[in-house]
Amino acid sequence: MNHGLTRFMLEPLPLPFAPHLPFAPLLAELLPALNDHNLPWMDTIHPIVVHFVIAMGLISFVFDLIGVLFRRGKLFEVSFWNLLFATAAIFVAIIFGQVEAGLANPYGASSEILNLHSTIGWSLAGVLSLMSGWRYVIRSRDPQQIPLSFLGAGALLSALIVVQVTLGNQLIWVYGLHTVPVVQAMRDGLV
Amino acid sequence: MAPYISPDPPIEQLARQLGPNGLPYALPIHPNLVHLTIGLFVIAIAFDIAGALYPVEKRLFRFLALPVTRAGFHDVGWYNLVACAIVSFFTVAAGFYEMLLAVPLPGVTSSIGLQSMQTMLLHGVGGVLILLVIVAMTVWRGYQRFAWRKDMGRQVQWLYLLVGLGLFLVIGLHGTLGAELAAEFGVHITADQLLAAGADLREALP
Repeated sequence: MNHGLTRFMLEPLPLPFAPHLPFAPLLAELLPALNDHNLPWMDTIHPIVVHFVIAMGLISFVFDLIGVLFRRGKLFEVSFWNLLFATAAIFVAIIFGQVEAGLANPYGASSEILNLHSTIGWSLAGVLSLMSGWRYVIRSRDPQQIPLSFLGAGALLSALIVVQVTLGNQLIWVYGLHTVPVVQAMRDGLV
Repeated sequence: MAPYISPDPPIEQLARQLGPNGLPYALPIHPNLVHLTIGLFVIAIAFDIAGALYPVEKRLFRFLALPVTRAGFHDVGWYNLVACAIVSFFTVAAGFYEMLLAVPLPGVTSSIGLQSMQTMLLHGVGGVLILLVIVAMTVWRGYQRFAWRKDMGRQVQWLYLLVGLGLFLVIGLHGTLGAELAAEFGVHITADQLLAAGADLREALP
């Protein structure tokens, strides 16, 4: 309960950001007040943006695998674009993830999970960017071939995505961060 | 007509096998498969749009020195949609299993003004209808790719793209209902169900 955001949340009309800042009244006018999800917008946006990181990241590896196993070079173009899209999407996912994490008021073990989820999230941005660059070079040389080392990297990326998704799942499905009952319990001082 | 008399909820029969979230496992499966359904569908349509508008974008890609082919964009549109259609059967199946076990919190009205049973019925029936449309669009897309527009640069009809964009809106609304089942009605969320049962989260979820 010594979390800065929790404290302001208990006030009758919560401001979106830290109220002790000198420009807080200005912020309060510019930004919408927090709703019953403790968000300035209707519902969490991060889980929507991550559709594209998860789906595109995983399918990129699946199409690479099918392309190698069944010698379908055409699929490498499909996995290239999916990988590029996953890379673009993760930066948007991180922006919303950071804002919503900042308003999440994690409690109990969920603080540690959220820290780990943030760390892996930023790392995934690096991993995806590097893999996109590597893939661009591979594609420029021969779009019909990928080296086995890239397939291995894709397998590791997929494993990392699965771990990251599991952590994110725990934040919502176990700890219920940003769900109405948990936000209410926090505002009532029960958590 | 006589009013419906509610019996003991049949979920009681399974109570011993279920965790505090109302499932025999900790993390629900349906919302994770939804990532795949939505991601694959949206990107499939987006790349077919990119393929259809290729003459407009050509210069941009030349400027970026990024070699692209129109057929490559349409390949993404096709293969992602096929993957989406396959995955979505499992998305709907998992959704039905988890909805049969759903116990929404009582006395809640969602932010769009619906109660839990209305939300679940709309989300359940809507999910099957969306699956039907996705499968129909995959067949339609296949005919365009392999028969009707086989030798054309633009592999898709404008109507196909329009229907795809229309489904974006439907999926957006449908996803909102699903999100409300979780974040407002507390379905399969351990913390929400524990709070509703009167537990102290400091002890129950340390």
